[in-house]
Amino acid sequence: MRRFIRNPVRAPLALFFLPCLALAQHGQVDLKAPDSLKNPESVAAGAKLYATSCGGCHGPEGIGGRGPNLIKRLARNIPDGELFATLRNGLPGTDMPPTSLSDDDTWKLAGYLRSISGPANQAVVPGDPANGEAVFNKAGCAGCHAILGKGSRMGPDLSNIGANKPLAAIRDALVPSKTDPSKNYQLQGAEGVKVTMKDGSTLQGIARNRSNYSLQIVDQKGDLHLVSMDKVRELQVKEGSPMPADYGQRLSATDMRDLLAYLARQSVRSAK
Amino acid sequence: MKNLILTLLLASSLPIGTAAQVRYEDIVKGPGADWLTYAGNYEGWRYSPLKQITPQNAGSMTAQWTYHVPDSGGLRTNPIVYKGVMYVTNSNSMHAIDARTGRLIWRYDDPQATKKGVNRGSAISGDSVYFTTTDNYLVALDRQTGALLFHKKFGDVDKGTTSTSAPLVVKDKVLVGSAGGDSGMRGFIVALSAKTGEELWRTWTVPAKGEKGSETWSDLHEWGGAGTWLSGTFDPETNTLFWTTGNPWPDFAGGPRMGDNLYTSSVLALDLETGKLKWYFQFTPHDVHDWDAQSWPVLLEIQWNGKPRKVVVHANRNGFFYILDRQTGEYLKATPLTDNITWAKGIDDKGRPVLVPGKDPTPEGNWVCPSIKGATNWMGQSFNPGTGLLYVLTLEECGMFTLSTQKPVPMKNFAGGAATEPGGQVYLRAIDPKDGKRVWEYPVGNTSRTWSGTVSTATGVLFSGDDDGHLIALDAKTGRHLWHFNVGDSLTASPITYEVDGKQYVAVAAGTNVFAFGLFEPVPSMALPKMTTTK
Ligand code: HEC
Ligand code: HEC
Repeated sequence: MRRFIRNPVRAPLALFFLPCLALAQHGQVDLKAPDSLKNPESVAAGAKLYATSCGGCHGPEGIGGRGPNLIKRLARNIPDGELFATLRNGLPGTDMPPTSLSDDDTWKLAGYLRSISGPANQAVVPGDPANGEAVFNKAGCAGCHAILGKGSRMGPDLSNIGANKPLAAIRDALVPSKTDPSKNYQLQGAEGVKVTMKDGSTLQGIARNRSNYSLQIVDQKGDLHLVSMDKVRELQVKEGSPMPADYGQRLSATDMRDLLAYLARQSVRSAK
Repeated sequence: MKNLILTLLLASSLPIGTAAQVRYEDIVKGPGADWLTYAGNYEGWRYSPLKQITPQNAGSMTAQWTYHVPDSGGLRTNPIVYKGVMYVTNSNSMHAIDARTGRLIWRYDDPQATKKGVNRGSAISGDSVYFTTTDNYLVALDRQTGALLFHKKFGDVDKGTTSTSAPLVVKDKVLVGSAGGDSGMRGFIVALSAKTGEELWRTWTVPAKGEKGSETWSDLHEWGGAGTWLSGTFDPETNTLFWTTGNPWPDFAGGPRMGDNLYTSSVLALDLETGKLKWYFQFTPHDVHDWDAQSWPVLLEIQWNGKPRKVVVHANRNGFFYILDRQTGEYLKATPLTDNITWAKGIDDKGRPVLVPGKDPTPEGNWVCPSIKGATNWMGQSFNPGTGLLYVLTLEECGMFTLSTQKPVPMKNFAGGAATEPGGQVYLRAIDPKDGKRVWEYPVGNTSRTWSGTVSTATGVLFSGDDDGHLIALDAKTGRHLWHFNVGDSLTASPITYEVDGKQYVAVAAGTNVFAFGLFEPVPSMALPKMTTTK
């Protein structure tokens, strides 16, 4: 939808700025990123450049401010050449300014954006994953989540979380923004529910799916229940996500860092 | 609520989900309300004892729900149903849906898979559901929540192998095949532990140099193909697996691989415990038309010379229908499956084709029947013990086979030539499996686009798909039309039937969706429950 609205604005301007926009034309979308795009030094240099020229608008970790949340925006995986052109030329007709950085620095920025918006297991995530695993067990995460068959199956499985989600989304699940819930990723709509059936029996757990006509609940034991709403007398839905929102207060900064380092490495494809 | 969830025990629970497990005996019993294995039962019948839908009332079937599979196309998945939950697969993903309503319960994705491709479905055992990724990992998931149990590599993309078929679970083993035979690879069937994914045995379908059978290859046998990209069948009495194999590689160029090319285009009988070859039968020695043998072997007992005999029947892509002894693999009989067969005059009394000379692919092109698509293919056939008939989708089509003069290079997708599929006529044919005689046939359009198979039921209703995107119901006895429904896309998978809460459904994947049908029932107006939101 965004694209749809933006394009008509860009089209007339494109004619006007023809020389500088040449790079943004689709021929350049094939532009190849240097091989160094993903190396840690290059990403770290990109992070510095980002902090000085971009963070003011896009937020310190790319999660948005005056400019949009880049992690969400870049999830659609635009080609390297298009990303480069956006950084180089800005987006005329919007607040996104062009930069005068060298090609090399522009690629470093692109590499940084890729690392924060791509799967967490491909980003450089500092911390001690071994302590993170201990924190995972101590903090009771396994009471709701399983990793490779260990833990409760009531909440989402985390065996592949590092390969499926960017770091920001994992962090967000643990430390949701209170001031601006629209910045959060975690909410996939899982609800804590309690059902009272017409025969008086009750059932509770996490709804994997709920419509007016049927309900699919996983209970604490990890058992699935398929419920027809015509058999239900009363449905209690807990406000907000069943995922506790207070780990930011409960865990020390070090433990939180290590927990993230541990989660970011959860990938079924890594040699473990 | 968190504490509520963690501390309160369930006051009551519904039958679904509680402690039930899929046991080997449940699969042996064959389908009832559930559909537990690719072909319905181990013998490959795609037959259901359900009786709600009959030839008399099939005309009043209506759509019950649709589930859209995101990022899909030409879905080939054969659904598995257990206790009201349906499992469907797409490339590198599995979706568990409520089989009464089509609502998604959980979804598993493997975005790191290095290849995408078709997937024919899943298998279930205990509390696990299994499927394979295109790049050869066996994935085991908790059937209720989708939690990952293990993820084990069993094949090598770098050696030309990919995975497309539904696994077959027998007892403690998950059996998985291999695909990729059109661009060079060495086929295998592998047994993995259902608990851990650990490899238990592996049987190569092309012998290594020096092994028995390797003398049937002048060269290239390390890339010789014989993929095993369709699930096999199983005989619980003798603990024997029956698995068909694919074409030799390069598909159309026989020169570099003189000889019969064992065990390509064959059926193999393997011991479940060890994977050892009990016997084999090669349908098309030295196949140069990419016919392979991918249509599963159906296990039956028929009257043979006045006595009951356990047999394997097989409708082959090369145009013939075969009857073999189940214990020994002895050839008993072959009859034409299609009217147009130009490459062989018939089958001799040893089971070898009597070749018509000059039908190999040539640089100028050679017109041969059947076409590359074959007289039939992997689309599911079904056997109905009530009618005693086998239902097979067959294609009357011929095509041009050309030979390339280039040197074959493995994994470069070089099949050694090319073949055309000019279009033909698909017939759904009812065959008497004891003599191969055609009892009736029903033309299913004329674009030869359908890849839909069949399923039939105890009341004598046969479901299949046609070329124009209709799911159809026919009278299994006579082939008379009973019902049709336009799903709006080509059918590329086989229908199944199952029951939840006393209602019989027929489901099929087509294009990018899964559809479920059942008898029309007015939906009673329903009062929504009282709903409260708590902090
Ligand atoms: C003055 C505020 C501002 C600054 C500074 C700024 N941006 Fe932006 N940026 C925006 C706005 C606003 C948009 C959204 C434009 C639109 O789509 O309407 C945007 C869009 C983008 C996009 C496009 C996202 C998409 O959907 O494709 C990228 C990438 C981006 N900015 C990266 C950067 C980087 C890297 C820097 C630092 C070099 C930067 N921005 C500096 C305001 C800013
Ligand atoms: C009371 C149960 C419960 C506990 C305890 C719990 N979680 Fe969660 N968690 C959930 C549920 C339910 C969701 C899904 C939320 C949604 O979809 O709205 C979730 C979501 C998540 C996600 C996002 C998953 C995804 O696929 O996007 C992560 C990551 C996560 N939790 C990590 C943790 C960690 C780490 C801990 C321990 C520090 C923890 N959780 C403790 C129930 C729990």
